[in-house]
Amino acid sequence: MSSTRALMQVLRARLGAADPLPPPAPAPEIPPPPHYVFPSPQMMGRYAEKASAHTTALVGIGHVGTRYATDVVLQFQAELAVAHQAVATVLPEDWAASQGLIGLQSRVTSHRQFLLRPDLGRRLSDESVKALRDKAQKGVDVQPILADGLSAVACMGSGMDLLRHFTAACEARGWKVGTPMCARYARVWLEDEIGQEVGARVAAILLGERPGLGTGDGLSAYIVHEPRIGKTDSDRNMMSNIHARGTPPAQAAQKLAMLVGAMLDQRTSGVGLDLSSLAAELGDAAARAPRAPQQRVRLVEVKR
Amino acid sequence: MSILEPIPPTVLSVRRIHAAHPSLLRSYGADPERHASLGLVTCDQDDPTYVALDEATKHAKVDVVFAKSFYAGSAHASGRLSGEILGVIAAADPDEIEEGLRALVRCLEHDACFYRADEKGTVAVFPHVIASLGHYLSREAGLPAGTSMAYLVAPPVEATIALDAALKAADVRAAKIFPPPSETNFASAWLAGDLVACEAAALAYAEAVVEVARRPREDR
Amino acid sequence: MQLSATIRGTTWRFESVKEVLAKANPPKSGDDLAGVSARDAVERVAARAALSQLTMSELRENPVVPYEADELTRLVDDTLDDQAFRAIKNLSVGQMREWLLDTKTTGPVIRSISAGLTPEMAAGVCKLMSNLDLMVVGAKCQVVVRANNTLGLPGRMSSRLQPNHPTDDVQGILFSMREGLCYGCGDAVIGVNPATDTAESTAEILKALDEVTTRNRIPTQNCVLSHVTVQMKALDLGAPMGLMFQSMSGSETGNRAFGISVKLMDEAWDKMKRLGTTRGPNVMYFETGQGSALSSAAHHGADQVTLEARCYGFARRYKPFLVNTVVGFIGPEYLENGPQITRAALEDHFMGKLLGLPMGCDACFTYHASMSQDELECLKVLLGAAGCTYLMSLPVGDDIMLNYQSTSFHDIPSVRMLIGKRPAPEFDAWLSETGIMDGDVPGERFGDPEVIR
Repeated sequence: MSSTRALMQVLRARLGAADPLPPPAPAPEIPPPPHYVFPSPQMMGRYAEKASAHTTALVGIGHVGTRYATDVVLQFQAELAVAHQAVATVLPEDWAASQGLIGLQSRVTSHRQFLLRPDLGRRLSDESVKALRDKAQKGVDVQPILADGLSAVACMGSGMDLLRHFTAACEARGWKVGTPMCARYARVWLEDEIGQEVGARVAAILLGERPGLGTGDGLSAYIVHEPRIGKTDSDRNMMSNIHARGTPPAQAAQKLAMLVGAMLDQRTSGVGLDLSSLAAELGDAAARAPRAPQQRVRLVEVKR
Repeated sequence: MSILEPIPPTVLSVRRIHAAHPSLLRSYGADPERHASLGLVTCDQDDPTYVALDEATKHAKVDVVFAKSFYAGSAHASGRLSGEILGVIAAADPDEIEEGLRALVRCLEHDACFYRADEKGTVAVFPHVIASLGHYLSREAGLPAGTSMAYLVAPPVEATIALDAALKAADVRAAKIFPPPSETNFASAWLAGDLVACEAAALAYAEAVVEVARRPREDR
Repeated sequence: MQLSATIRGTTWRFESVKEVLAKANPPKSGDDLAGVSARDAVERVAARAALSQLTMSELRENPVVPYEADELTRLVDDTLDDQAFRAIKNLSVGQMREWLLDTKTTGPVIRSISAGLTPEMAAGVCKLMSNLDLMVVGAKCQVVVRANNTLGLPGRMSSRLQPNHPTDDVQGILFSMREGLCYGCGDAVIGVNPATDTAESTAEILKALDEVTTRNRIPTQNCVLSHVTVQMKALDLGAPMGLMFQSMSGSETGNRAFGISVKLMDEAWDKMKRLGTTRGPNVMYFETGQGSALSSAAHHGADQVTLEARCYGFARRYKPFLVNTVVGFIGPEYLENGPQITRAALEDHFMGKLLGLPMGCDACFTYHASMSQDELECLKVLLGAAGCTYLMSLPVGDDIMLNYQSTSFHDIPSVRMLIGKRPAPEFDAWLSETGIMDGDVPGERFGDPEVIR
């Protein structure tokens, strides 16, 4: 064997060519890729613009490789953060009192337990049962209950507004409305025990709904006739998407009062309730109707 | 792929003629008085084959009677088995041919070869060092058998610049210089000196070829 | 039958096979909610040790809901393939795990015994497996089905395009659908969850989807995921239905809460075979998900993994084209966080494939579960590597109607390129024709919804 191969090995190493990868090519000039932005109108593509008249889905957003542009990522992460923040927020213990409401709590004792044990969120704690007996007016026509549900942010946001409008709408119809109250760690079915305890003909729980992407301020209302423990979902009527961009609280309160009226007249609620004569006025609230789309707003503003 | 990796030659045919016809022997440069058997090899790299033929003469009683490169190289071969060179060794009997072919093929498969001078493999260099010449190349180079020699090949412009670098890099003298074009459009040089000087010359040659391949236009 | 095990001198005894199965489960908030989970990690391992000794025969003889009390148990037992069952009946659950993992046990071999397995057997062996075990066996299983496309071939991963809209605005649905198609999504099905559960609206949406797929000659199948009875009426209205859909539960009472029964599904399947528009032979689409039985108090004291397997025992009767587990949709009271959702996804895929179903997965979370977007993206790659037949796909993964986070249009080509997989062959060819894809890389029209007319 000649020494040639060994010599070339030495030379390769000396020239840096023995590295597993050859030295990088000189850097090319890198022009910035186009921005894809939702929903800033001046930057929106033609497809996104046409689609936005029909859907809030993020379409026409383009791509970089097979992934999202940075603007899309930031908008998406901001929407996600808003939803997660709404879920994580706990209603302060003294919030009810600060609003002049009777403060109640379910059997749940922590936020994690609230998420994991819906059964405990449907029943009142012993102290709350006692508080109810001591402070709440009994034998009422309608018992409104404000509650945190899955968004304390929504409850603290437009909750009082909805409660006041709803109470006023009921009183305007001549019904006896129960003492205003607010329940912590509450699931929908908690209205059954509360309504039963105060002897209400109808119970209406107004609570924060499960946040969606970019939204955490929506309230839902669930109404039940002859509330008592053991009622199921088919016994209730509901209305969702109550917030400034959906159905505003004042308008929602009128529709909810209409629903209560129908229940008091027909002495039933849920699947048995006939809303055909009210369908036009109720719109979304006329049972199981689809929800109006949430509007998407630009959450991230960056100065360039 | 990175630079200075071997480009292994492909041996395309290895055949023997135990008792060749005298006319054939004569026309291929053999002497019917001394030679009866022939060994034939084709390969896709010519210069490694010249080195390997010389290697054969060091391991067996064989003569290299015929060795010619084909025009324009193996990329334009006349057939699947042609490659760019036919080498013929001749001997008195088949056993010597066998021994010679063994050394020849071993040299092609494990030793002499071109190397990549750029990442893409579009420039090749042959910076081979022979520690001790056999009687074939010593005759061709006009050097005593046993001398050390650097056998250097590259494409025309690379070869020209690299040869200058090699001559200046060590105490070597030019035994033969073949300016371009060779049959295969390369250029080559045979430099003689002691082994250390030949190695230094081969290194300088290879390095210069790589450098030219990387920066072909000094004006940019 | 041995229902006990000893760990460090302490002997753990269990009352029933059902209890062993439940306590052998990895932690799930839904099992805690049902009160059937192991007290601690040591009892969990003890239950697994006891489970590993039970034979396939013993699991068949001890279904978690009794034969007399449940039509699903009867359906499974009455239609079990005897020859296939005899081949494996003497294996213990521990031996079954090892046999499945053995290199010599290839996809075709597993397929040959699949019809002899009950859901309890699939669930049992699942509980002895780690996540990577589940992936290794899941990837081996072969389930190939055909409607218009052929799904489940080696080297392929498909996707459902899910262009939902909160008010069923047909134009809005089509905008999302076109966007998804130009990212190479939709070869499994273009499937819309309707907001309004009526035959008329189901038919209207199907007609709109069909117009686009016909005009653009897209080899796929369409579906509107309304209740099966609604879809039967839509078929009567002449709706061009590519696949018939229904959600399923793991017990007779659970299915009653969904408004279905074996008899009803038999009728629905029969009708679909006559009136559906795809070439078949597989024309049904089912969705399942751990926790659904408990949410309607129909769990009979069993754990949610075993009940999930029982859905597959029901589904396989109808030789479905698609089955998927909507794994994180149900909420944290059943699957609390990323690890639980990830585990459930791999379990469901494994059990479904083992029982011979073309399993897909809706890798997703609701915003009140503890799972991050990064964890969800990882899960999609795990599922792809485990041979999952198809994933969902939505605009940025956001379902604007059902309010949860799933797989996005952009995720599908990303996962395919990462793990070296392609869409169903018929759809693959169409993508190349349109220029959306150029072989296995994005083509000139990739991400351009205007390519769909």
